[in-house]
Amino acid sequence: MQGADNASADRRTVLKLTGVAGATATLGSLAGCLGEGEDGNGDEIDLDSLTITQGEFPDVEDPNDHITGPYFNVYDHVYEPLFEVTPGEEPSPGVVTEWDHTGDGSVELEIRDDVVFHQGQQLVAEDIAFTLDRQIDPDVPPVSDQVAGLGSLEGAEAIDETTLELSYSGAPQLAEFEFGNYLRAVSQEWFESDAPVSDGVISGDDADAFNGTGPFQVVDYDPAQNRIVMEPFEDYWGEVPELEEVTFEGETSDSGRVSSLLADETNLIDNVLPDDVGEVESDPDSAIEQVTSFRNIFLAMKNEVEPFDSQEFRQAMNYAVDNEDIIDGVLSGFGHPMSQPTPPGVNGYNPDLEPYEQDLDEAERLVEDAGYTEDDPAEITLTAPEGRYLNDADIGRRAADQIDQLPNVDCEVDIVPFDVVSDANSAGPDDEEIPFFLIGWGVITGDADYGMFGFFHDDGGVQSFRDDELQSELEATQVEEDPDTREAMLQEVNEMAREKAPWVFLHQQESIYGIDEALEWEPREDESVFVWEIS
Amino acid sequence: MSFTRFLLRRAFQGIFVVWAVVTIMFGLRALSPGDPVNLIAGQVPDQSTRDQIRQDLGLDQPMYVQYVEYLGELLQGSLGYSYNQQRSVNDIVAQHFAATVELAVAATIVAIVIAIPLGVVSATRRNQPADYGATLGSLVGISTPNFWLGLMLILLLAEAAGLFPTSGRGVALHDGVLTLITTGHAGELLTWFSHIILPAITLGTYFTALITRLTRSGMIDELGKPYVTVTEAKGLPSVLIRYKHVLRNTLIPIVTVLGLQLGTLLGGAVITEEVFNWPGLGRMFIESLRNGDWPVVQGIVLFIAIAFIVINILVDALYARLDPRVIDK
Repeated sequence: MQGADNASADRRTVLKLTGVAGATATLGSLAGCLGEGEDGNGDEIDLDSLTITQGEFPDVEDPNDHITGPYFNVYDHVYEPLFEVTPGEEPSPGVVTEWDHTGDGSVELEIRDDVVFHQGQQLVAEDIAFTLDRQIDPDVPPVSDQVAGLGSLEGAEAIDETTLELSYSGAPQLAEFEFGNYLRAVSQEWFESDAPVSDGVISGDDADAFNGTGPFQVVDYDPAQNRIVMEPFEDYWGEVPELEEVTFEGETSDSGRVSSLLADETNLIDNVLPDDVGEVESDPDSAIEQVTSFRNIFLAMKNEVEPFDSQEFRQAMNYAVDNEDIIDGVLSGFGHPMSQPTPPGVNGYNPDLEPYEQDLDEAERLVEDAGYTEDDPAEITLTAPEGRYLNDADIGRRAADQIDQLPNVDCEVDIVPFDVVSDANSAGPDDEEIPFFLIGWGVITGDADYGMFGFFHDDGGVQSFRDDELQSELEATQVEEDPDTREAMLQEVNEMAREKAPWVFLHQQESIYGIDEALEWEPREDESVFVWEIS
Repeated sequence: MSFTRFLLRRAFQGIFVVWAVVTIMFGLRALSPGDPVNLIAGQVPDQSTRDQIRQDLGLDQPMYVQYVEYLGELLQGSLGYSYNQQRSVNDIVAQHFAATVELAVAATIVAIVIAIPLGVVSATRRNQPADYGATLGSLVGISTPNFWLGLMLILLLAEAAGLFPTSGRGVALHDGVLTLITTGHAGELLTWFSHIILPAITLGTYFTALITRLTRSGMIDELGKPYVTVTEAKGLPSVLIRYKHVLRNTLIPIVTVLGLQLGTLLGGAVITEEVFNWPGLGRMFIESLRNGDWPVVQGIVLFIAIAFIVINILVDALYARLDPRVIDK
C-alpha cells in the first residue's frame, strides 16, 4: 500500500479533515455519555469512574514486553498505539498523521508535533525509533515477544523531530498491519534519566513507572493487588476524556470476577465462563456481551510424524470431529466453527470455504486409505491443556471421544498443564513426543500472515507443519505489493491449508464479557477493551 | 551439652534442611515440563533468537553447572530473577509477604477471640447443651473445606447482603495506618478492615475449631487438679478461678500450638488467598506455578521453608531454656 493512497484513503481523509483523528473522536463520544446512567432498577449509578476487572493483569511495567491482550488493554490507555486500529482494517491516523511508502522497503511516518508524555517530555521521532529497537532487537532489553507481531520490520531512523523512516522486508500491507498494531512510544529521554530501570527493563512499583502519551495517566499503581488507577491526562493532544477515573484490576478467579460484577464492585469483567452466563443475565444490573474473537482453537498435527504424515489421515481427523457438537455441548453455543486457519474479519479470510462436517464413514475410509485397519488401528494420543482456553480440557476429551469412534483409530487423551503443550508447539514438525495437541492462536494483527506463518514456515518458530508448496505460497504473499492481489493470494493459501489439513479445525472462541447494564459497549474481535469505546 | 552447642547443632540441622529443600526444588524444576524461553520470548521468535536467549540465561549449560550457579546466587542472598515479571524474586517475595502476614495474624486473632471463650464454656459446662453445641461447632469447623466456606461467605455476605467486599485487600495495612497517623483519616484503615474480615474468618475457622477442642481438653485436665479444689475451698468466685487460674495454666500448650500454626498459616493460606484474591505469597505461588515461573515458585518455597525452620529453632530454643533436660535429650 502506498501510504494514504489506497482504498481506505477515504476514511483516513475524513478523519484528517475533521482535524482530530482516531481516538479523539471516540473519546468525544465517551465524554458525552459517561457521567450518568441508570441501572436495571432505575437507580442512578455513578459513571464518573469506571472499573474493569480482567482475568489476567500485566505483571510487568514495561510496555514493550509482552504481547498478550489483557496487557495491552491496560497499557494502551497509557501508551497509546500510534494509529487508530479497527479489527481487520488497515490502520488510520492517530499520533502518526500520514505515511508514505518510498518503494524501496521503507515508509516515512509523519508524527504530530504537539504530543507530550505524561512526565513532560515532548514526543519526537527518535522516541519511536528507540521504542522499536526495544521491541525487535533481541540484544536490547526487554527480550520482547512483541517482536512476533513486528516480524517484517527491520528498523527505524529519525529523519527529523517529526519524521520517521521505517524499513521493512516483505509486503507494504503486511508492514502496515504490523506497525499499525504494535508501534508505541516510550520517551528515550525519560528512560535514560528518570525511569525506574533494572537491567534495561522498566520496572517499578508505583505510578512513576509509567510515562506514555495516551489519554490517561497512571495515578496509583499497586502491583501486589493487581490494580492500576488512571485519570485523564490534561495535556493530551486530543480531546481530554471527561471520565474522572479508570481502574483496571486483576482477578484470576472466574467466579470471583462474576461476584465482583454482581456486587457492583466493577463495571466490566472478561472471560465469563459459559456456565456463569445465566447468573449474570439473571441479575437486573448486569448483562452479557459477546463476540466471536480472532482466537482459533484447533488440534495441530505434526506432519513428519506417523500417522499424521498422511494427508488422508489428517483429513479423516477433521471428518471424525463434530465441531458443532463441541460448540453446543461443551461451550454452550459460545463458539463459531472454523473452516480455515484465518478467522472471519481478518485480511485473507476466504468466505467461500465451509467447515468440515462430521462424516464418520468418510473418515473411516480415509483412515483406511492411509493404511490403518480395524485389526491394525492407528494409535494416537491427543494432548490438551487445562485452564488456558475456554473449557479446553473438556473440548480435548470430547474430540478424542469422537475420533475414538472410528473402528480403525484408537485415540486417547492426555490432559496436561499448558507449558507442556507450549513446548510441543515449538518443538518442530518432527517431534514425536507430542505430535497431536490442542492449542489456540489469536490472529491479533488482523492479517492472515500472523495466523499462518508461525505454524507453516521453517522460520516461524512454532512450525508444526512442513509443506514446501504451502511455504512458498506464504512467502509469495509476503512480498506482494498490491493489497488486493495479496488478499486474494492469502485466500488461496487458506484454501490450500484447508485441503492439506494441518490442523483439525475446531472453532473460533467466543469472547464473553459481563458488563454493567447501564453501559453500552460492543466488544471487539481482537479482544481489545478500550475505555473510549464504552458509553 | 551447653545451650550454645545445642543452638549451633540446631542451626546446622536447619542449614542442611534448607539445602535439601533447595536441591529438591531445583530437581523438580529440572524434571518439570516448560521451557523458560517460551515464557520470556513468547512462541514465535525464530530459533536463533531462542538459542541466544537460552545462552544469555545460561540455560544451555549442563544442569549441574546451573545448580552450582543457583547455589552461588542464593549464598549471596538472591532468590533469583523472574523471567515473567522481569524483576528479582526478592522484590516479589517482599511485596507479597506483608499481605500474608496480615491475613495469618488476623486469622489467628479470629481463632483466639472465638475459640478460647467457647472452649472454657464447653469445659465448664460439660455434657450440657452449651458443650454439645461447642463440640458440634468444632467438628463442623474442622470438617468444612476452606474454599467452600470462602465461596459461601462471598455469596451470602458480600454478593447477596453487600456487607463486605467480595475480594481483594483494598489497601495495605501499613498504608492505612500511615494515612491515619499523617492525616487523621481512618477511611483507608476501615477499607482494609472490611476486606480482611471474610478471608480471616475463612482461614481462622479451622483453627478456631482446633483451639476450642484444645482449650476444652486442657481446661478439663486443669479443673480436676487439687489447686482448683483449694481455690474453690478458699471461696474464690468461679469466674476468677476459671479465667485467671485454670485458663492461664491451659494457655501454655495453646500458645505453643498457635505459634506453630502461625508458621503453617504463613505458607498454607494458598486456597484462601486464591478464593479472595488476597495478594499474598500463596496467590503469587499459584500464579507463578500456573505461568511456569519457576524462579518465583522456588523462591517462595525456600522463603517459607526458612521461615518454618527459624520458627522451629526459636521454639526449640525456648523449650531448652524452659526445660534444660531437652538439651541432654
